Amino acid sequence: MVQMATPRGKWIGARVKRVEDPRFLTGDARYVADLTLPRMVHAAFVRSPYGHARIKGIDASAALAAPGVIAVLTHADVASVPPLQDPIALDGLKKTPQTVLASDKVRFVGEPVAVVIAEDRYLAEDAAELVQVDYEPLPAVTDAEAAMAEGAPLLFEDLGSNVVYDQTYRFGDPDSAFQQADRTFKKRLHTNRFMASPMETRGCIGQYDRGLGELTFWSSTQMPHMLRLSLAGFLGIPEQKIRVITPEVGGGFGQKMTLYPEEVVVAFLARHLQRPVKWIEDRRENLMSATHAKEQIIELEAALTNDGTLLGLRATCIGDGGGYSFNTASALVEPQAAALMMPGLYRVANYEARVVAVVTNKTPVGAFRAVGWTAGHTARELFFDEIARELGMDPVEFRRKNMIHEDELPYTTCSGQVYDSGSYVKSLDLALQTVGYDELRARQAELRAQGRYLGIGISPYVEPTAWGSEIALQVGFPFPSHDNARVSIEPSGKVTVAVTTHSHGQGHETTLAQVAADILGVDLADVTVVFGDTAATPWGMGTYASRSAVIGGGAVTLAAQEVREKILKIAGRMLEADPADLVLADGKVSVQGSPDRSVTLAEVAVSSYFVNSVRAEGEDPTLTATRFYDPKATYSNGCIVVVAEVDPETGQVRLDRVVSVEDCGTVLNPMIVDGQIHGAVAQGIGGTLYEHLVYDDQGQLLTGTFMDYLLPTATEVPPIQVEHLETPSPVTVQGIKGMGEGGLMASPAAVAGAVLDALAPFTPKVEELPLSPERILRAIGTITD
Amino acid sequence: MKPPSFEYFAPTTLDEAVALLAQHGDEAKVLAGGQSLVPMLNLRLARPAALVDLNRVTGLDYVRAENGHVVIGALARQRAVERSADVAARQPLIAAAIRLIGHPAVRNRGTVVGSLAHADPAAELPAVAVALGAEMVVTGPNGERVVAADDFFVSYLTVDLAPGEVLKEARFPALPPRTGWSIVEVARRFGDFALAGAVATLTLDDQGAASDVRVALFGVADRPVRVPEAEQVLRGERPDDDRIAAAAEAARAALVDPPSDVHASAAYRRHVAGVLVGRALREARERAQASG
Amino acid sequence: MKRAIALTINGVRVEAEVEPRKTLADFIREDAELTGTKLGCEHGVCGACTVLLNGEAVRSCLIFAVQADGAEIMTVEGLAQNGQFHKLQQAFWENHALQCGFCTPGFLMSSYALLQENPNPTEDEIREGLSGNICRCTGYQGIVAAVKSVAGSAE
Repeated sequence: MVQMATPRGKWIGARVKRVEDPRFLTGDARYVADLTLPRMVHAAFVRSPYGHARIKGIDASAALAAPGVIAVLTHADVASVPPLQDPIALDGLKKTPQTVLASDKVRFVGEPVAVVIAEDRYLAEDAAELVQVDYEPLPAVTDAEAAMAEGAPLLFEDLGSNVVYDQTYRFGDPDSAFQQADRTFKKRLHTNRFMASPMETRGCIGQYDRGLGELTFWSSTQMPHMLRLSLAGFLGIPEQKIRVITPEVGGGFGQKMTLYPEEVVVAFLARHLQRPVKWIEDRRENLMSATHAKEQIIELEAALTNDGTLLGLRATCIGDGGGYSFNTASALVEPQAAALMMPGLYRVANYEARVVAVVTNKTPVGAFRAVGWTAGHTARELFFDEIARELGMDPVEFRRKNMIHEDELPYTTCSGQVYDSGSYVKSLDLALQTVGYDELRARQAELRAQGRYLGIGISPYVEPTAWGSEIALQVGFPFPSHDNARVSIEPSGKVTVAVTTHSHGQGHETTLAQVAADILGVDLADVTVVFGDTAATPWGMGTYASRSAVIGGGAVTLAAQEVREKILKIAGRMLEADPADLVLADGKVSVQGSPDRSVTLAEVAVSSYFVNSVRAEGEDPTLTATRFYDPKATYSNGCIVVVAEVDPETGQVRLDRVVSVEDCGTVLNPMIVDGQIHGAVAQGIGGTLYEHLVYDDQGQLLTGTFMDYLLPTATEVPPIQVEHLETPSPVTVQGIKGMGEGGLMASPAAVAGAVLDALAPFTPKVEELPLSPERILRAIGTITD
Repeated sequence: MKPPSFEYFAPTTLDEAVALLAQHGDEAKVLAGGQSLVPMLNLRLARPAALVDLNRVTGLDYVRAENGHVVIGALARQRAVERSADVAARQPLIAAAIRLIGHPAVRNRGTVVGSLAHADPAAELPAVAVALGAEMVVTGPNGERVVAADDFFVSYLTVDLAPGEVLKEARFPALPPRTGWSIVEVARRFGDFALAGAVATLTLDDQGAASDVRVALFGVADRPVRVPEAEQVLRGERPDDDRIAAAAEAARAALVDPPSDVHASAAYRRHVAGVLVGRALREARERAQASG
Repeated sequence: MKRAIALTINGVRVEAEVEPRKTLADFIREDAELTGTKLGCEHGVCGACTVLLNGEAVRSCLIFAVQADGAEIMTVEGLAQNGQFHKLQQAFWENHALQCGFCTPGFLMSSYALLQENPNPTEDEIREGLSGNICRCTGYQGIVAAVKSVAGSAE
């Protein structure tokens, strides 16, 4: 089912196994926790045990006297470091500065209050228990709507409110749409707080060279240059005197695109103590202190005609931002993204959205794969399932009727997105055909007669990708966004590609090498991709929001094409031929039609560097080019269908299968695309059925270990079948669209939709996720007390 | 997440272990498989001053059939018991229960007796012990004593072991003839502790009536509980679907105060306990009939 | 008080003096300097620290190094022989069974133990056998496929 619109070389589009894998398979790959430096010492943070409290005093004397302790720092020691806050410039967005160690107040359980440095982590943890913090507990607020209420405990007294943003956007004429409607519907959904939970937690090592005035900082981050820029600002070290290196990074999913207070403290300590300082977060810390995600309260209203045509939508998206409107993306990261993409791939001419961001006494919220969209998409799709049931329509027919069809593309939505191209209806059809929709409906009826409950969940999606400046604006986060690639051919004829995007599992060493290898006519093995070291790469933003294939791939394409032109120019002189007549393939340049007249790439390279006669006067001898790319907006699409069976006596769910149709334009490596979908869908299964960060009303995290925070395992994730469609983008280099988030945007609606479809005979009512066995029994009225 | 300091002892005889435990009293903990204790140490939720490691004590890893019982020593790993031919032949309920515990790497290290002594109320093996009327052989400074399972489990993570005492072995009665068994549970994920679970055995007489019925629940109280109210409904009766449904309802009604936590409320546990009792009894009936 | 212990790891004898509270995982990573074994949760859930102890898969974060005195340990670094991948490593590579790679050593060791015990598992047996290991990247698809692809093949 692949449409080939772009002529392909040997590598782009090939299912090539990853060049980076061997070192991971042998245990030789080094993550930050695996690094050791001479004289290195270890940090442990003292964290708030209260959701909301005033700090009246800190006594570190017992900790300082403990074995192996080198230092204990509190806010007073780091008072010169400015507080962290988000850089988002939007009217009406209030700032909530966070000191890197809590000063007067703590606002969530897990907030760093002090740091202990000791000879090893065991001793540091021993001493951290001895730091005496005198807290005056304050009333806590842990629900976003309660936090908005008059008289709620205030996290930031000087703001006078816990609401940091409250704006209503209007597109088209929503009031008229609702006035003209034959029928209107409403839905409320409180999506659960869950988190990225990468298998490698956060961690960093700082080392300061006093003589050179240089900080070297190893960190498990997705954005080395942005981290360097931030550290420079917070510590007053010139940016060019900081080198950020990422060793292997064990997953990020957005959690590692934020600057964290711990990182600033560790860098501060390295300079302060003149010794390398290592901090490796443990799992308990990650669960309570690294960014949480996905929690929103969403209320939707829809205006429809009797035949099921959607006239307008209203949405209220309340984001529960946790203790701080966190730096990097602010508490808007969830509700703003949800609200602006709420129309999705449906024709919605009239739309009103209220976006509210609130602080509460819980861990701050940050980005996590499909940030904002998971909650918004889930609410809308489950709403549409309900509407279809109410109207007596098949959920597929309701969607097909209101979906943007291929012949309407490009399509500008009422809320400002420009969908460049795609296969919306075709994806839906292929997904249904693959899963055998009609047969499944028949099977469902058959099983119901036997007292078994099978359900089908359908979730078509459009996915903003390629986070450049234009799409950032279209989806609500106006911030310039671009990246660079430097492609070089060394005198040996081998290729080095240095990129500013970052790989933490996505396989860029393979995919970006595939791009360069095709353009430069070399073997994949002759290309080395370098990233994750600010000293070895040009300046760039890093990896987030599905931008690396498009921006990284695009920048590599542009730079490699420039190098290719240089090669052909030199080779033309060597072969006494017009560069336009030359063919670059298999590591050599030959004259079209005369394969005997050829030079190897190594011969071209060595000539360029060392033989002046092949170059014109003043021509650059180095075969290198650095190009940036800031793509136009491009949107991927697809459709996920889930088949589930529910036990209505216990509320247990068994997922039978998942079908995912993905159209991300030109595919660089289908194996890697499949892997991204598999992982994202598994996270969606976790977030819909298992994963939930639960707080009590005092702000205690009740799911603070992996025994209670339930990640899905191989027994919970069923077979996931991926089918590809390929509609190249007309607006990006190579027609590449990004991907990687759609699975987590769309699978929760498909999973929950399948469960609710299975239970349709009981008319289930769900206003909260996840669908735990208990919530399922309550949804169908089996349990009422 | 590193454990706090402790004094470590690795005795090679049980007498030595008992002497060490007596010497350190409440401050000491026994370390066997460590699959429950070590996470608590790493999380610093437990801080014993001393650990007495039984793993170097020889001759405690037995699983054997003896006088109509399956006898399991303190160091027999769950995995070994799960694979034991004696267990499969004489008391398959034990192996079935073990297959619901955690994952292979946990069972490779975890011991059956350790699970009993830890006494998590949501664990499978204590409920099996209660249902079968297993005997706990306790050894201590004053010699050996035998405690009935029903008396052994006192409350949440608390058993009838005095300072200095060790649970040396557990004796499970073999399955009588014409007896079916079942263990069923609801857990959030495969291998997790149960939200609720039920164990049942059912012995049929020549007329097909239930001459003996045993029902125990786990995850629904501060310890595993026998449910005589449900057993009574069936004893001496033919276990047809209606009777079993009545037994399940009786079990539900008998629950006093099931726990609530982030995974399920008391109401959920009460409801599901009834469902599981019904399912366990039906499965036990099928097995009893098949063993004909 | 430290104790002297000696372990054999991947056939090499490693001696050190350790505090009793040092976990086997930390011993392997710090004293034996074999950092392939990972720490993902340190409370026995994620399986990243899985190694073989006298031939059986265990979670090395739940065993103290002193308890392993005299034992034979096998870690991910012991899988490849003479520079040749073990068939499981090759299968993981070919089936895209890893992305960020952090859980991979644990999955390889659990898979190795699973196949030692049951050389020809069904898909359900593979899933159950690996359900004590968590991967956040792959949705387990490639991992299950990799183990399936070598199931039934000789050592």
